[in-house]
Amino acid sequence: MENPLHPFELHTIVPLSLFGLDVSINKAVIMMFVVVGVVTLLLTKARSSGSLIPTKLQSVAELLLEFIRGMIHETMGPDGMRFFPLIATLFLFILFSNLLGLIPGAYTVTSQLVVTGAFALGVYTLSLLVGFKIHGVKFLGILVPSGTPAWLLPLMIPIEIISQLARPVSLSVRLFANMTAGHVILGVLFGLSISGGLLIGWLPFSFTVALYGLEVGIAFIQAYIFTILTCVYMGDAFHLH
Amino acid sequence: MPQFDVHFFSSLIFWEVVSFGILFWVLYKFAFPPILEALETRERKIRDSIEQAEQSRQTAEQRLADYEAKLSGAAQEAEAIVADAKAKAQRLLEENEQRLRTESERIQAETAQEIERERRKALQDIRNEAADLAVTVAEKVLERSLSDDDHRRLAREAVQAVAAGESRK
Repeated sequence: MENPLHPFELHTIVPLSLFGLDVSINKAVIMMFVVVGVVTLLLTKARSSGSLIPTKLQSVAELLLEFIRGMIHETMGPDGMRFFPLIATLFLFILFSNLLGLIPGAYTVTSQLVVTGAFALGVYTLSLLVGFKIHGVKFLGILVPSGTPAWLLPLMIPIEIISQLARPVSLSVRLFANMTAGHVILGVLFGLSISGGLLIGWLPFSFTVALYGLEVGIAFIQAYIFTILTCVYMGDAFHLH
Repeated sequence: MPQFDVHFFSSLIFWEVVSFGILFWVLYKFAFPPILEALETRERKIRDSIEQAEQSRQTAEQRLADYEAKLSGAAQEAEAIVADAKAKAQRLLEENEQRLRTESERIQAETAQEIERERRKALQDIRNEAADLAVTVAEKVLERSLSDDDHRRLAREAVQAVAAGESRK
């Protein structure tokens, strides 16, 4: 049977180097370009018919943006709309990476821990920067949950530091693990259905059909979770308890 | 796991940042503002429409209430008019009845008086006539048999008798 992790392997397609840094084009990079192209096409086409009565495409785009806007309003309040472009781009990038990765033969960009890690770290760093910019040194108060008795501080502060540091880790690992696991399971079941032959192979194959639907849902949910957690972290930086 | 192949990290991160940056810039520049604006325009439009509809509804309700009030006022007025007319008619009827009754009573009383007067006059006439007649008849009967003295006496008596009868009445 084929190695189920085989689809995640990358191979340099166009070797490139920038100031000694290896920036070769591989399948994942091409998928990133595809994602950028698809999202750009979708949203600019939706925009071009920006009439009051929306077309179908416009409805989809507006639905997505409205959804993100609702998320920001819930977690950060109306002030958070300053970050709308960033958060919306993040959501759309992750969502379409997840979805397009489900096309057979395509590559799921978000199944690369470096990719999700870079996003998570970037977002988390930004939330810290925003926090320190708004609240100054007082932002360190985020390490002290409100209502903590003074004698508990020596215990609470290390715990809070750990929980803070866990944020980008959990954020990135959650997305990466979900995407990887889903594809691995799909790969395993496909392998089973092929090696099982007609006699028994239909059984794992029918599972893959059901799982595929589930994966589409997970693609949405994981993009949503990543984005809403981003909003929550930003919101924490905004509204220090 | 192939994902931990460090060899590709640099290119992945580099292109991720680049493509994310491009996407961000493109969307920020060309896609988000018009779409968000369209959303807000629609929201505003819907809110306005709802407000307008609410206003129209309130106006309509106000008007309906006004009309109903007017209608019930008119109905009350009509009722009052009818009741008034009825009362007036009743009063007129009663007045007429009263007047007719008193009139008829008066006529009755006058008639009775007239009759009484006529009756008395007739009686008086009859009495006078009867006395004259009696005197005449008596004269005729007694013309030869009575002397002049007798005549005088009898006449006196007759006159007295008539007078007595007159006074008796």
